[in-house]
Amino acid sequence: MTLLGPDRTGRPVVRVAAVGDIHLGEDCAGLLRPAFETLPGCADLLLLAGDLTRHGTAAEARVVAAEVASIGVPVVAVLGNHDHHADEPEEVVRVLRDAGVRVLEGESTVLPVAGHKVGVAGVKGFCGGFVGRSAGEFGEPEMKAFVRTARRSADRLAGALAELEAHGCAVRIALTHFSPVPDTLAGEPPEIYPFLGSYLLAEAIDAQGADLAVHGHAHLGTEHGMTAGGVRVRNVAQPVIDHAFALYRLPLDGRSAHPSEASAPAPVPARYGLG
Amino acid sequence: MTDRPEPYEEEYRIALLRERLARGGQAELGVRVERRGGGVLLTGTVPNATRREEILDLARDTLPGLTVRTEVALAGRDAPDHGEELP
Ligand SMILES: [Fe+2]
Ligand SMILES: [Fe+2]
Repeated sequence: MTLLGPDRTGRPVVRVAAVGDIHLGEDCAGLLRPAFETLPGCADLLLLAGDLTRHGTAAEARVVAAEVASIGVPVVAVLGNHDHHADEPEEVVRVLRDAGVRVLEGESTVLPVAGHKVGVAGVKGFCGGFVGRSAGEFGEPEMKAFVRTARRSADRLAGALAELEAHGCAVRIALTHFSPVPDTLAGEPPEIYPFLGSYLLAEAIDAQGADLAVHGHAHLGTEHGMTAGGVRVRNVAQPVIDHAFALYRLPLDGRSAHPSEASAPAPVPARYGLG
Repeated sequence: MTDRPEPYEEEYRIALLRERLARGGQAELGVRVERRGGGVLLTGTVPNATRREEILDLARDTLPGLTVRTEVALAGRDAPDHGEELP
């Protein structure tokens, strides 16, 4: 089915383009620009799911910025682990923001589409593993720090998703680099799943609600998955989708959107009536 | 040096290649190293041909005397001609 033509149902829709793991080096200028230039004709926004650079240098970020600058649709991004490698993520963020990219880390952004609000909550996320096969916050300080990093990241995603609910968004998208579910990792060696994502992200998504979760990072994984709570998950790592971007179309009149009071997400134990 | 390494040494050299690929960021690109017959096979997807050459050079440098075969693809960079309806 093509999404490039008009929607035949006549319902208001948002067309989401998404890609992650483009891993552009300084020698990659212009690689994706021709495909990105078609975006105004087929999408309302572009999501970048992290690992935009090869080693996370400002010079590589400038290559990424030039690929998406003035592309004609809003661009929303999270960073990936590669974008942190050179230890200057704030430089990478600055270069991307200067080019008009909305870079999210525990933040949200709301875009107007066809008279409705489309919200994106973004966080890089972290590793840790999935239910029954995950690391615990116990033992050496390094181990505790590892698990806490994942937990803090999931908490920030929950906070950003709560903002979207408060805005009364018709469509809420969770954008991460690491995977919230193991489904979309199929194809990766099972032994490395704990390095590819964390169920804490899915828990945050299910607790706050979302209409779509988009991630990257798992280059050998598969595109389709779902959280335990039924939220659709898509792995848009470029080697997985094998295109410059993937396209998804979601109805804007699917849920009765009404702004609610902004409320901080409940801490996890409280959600289950504990502590 | 072009002498074929001892069989036990091969294991560690292949592990070293994996580590070098990890440090260079290529491993996470999805480049995998597998033993195939008497040599190794590199598979995966990379953004451009230069990256593919780098990986092959690194493998030949790390695994002297071993046959290195590659099936490393370039990631598709075209706009999609279809999408997915998420009702
Ligand atoms: Fe990646
Ligand atoms: Fe990654």
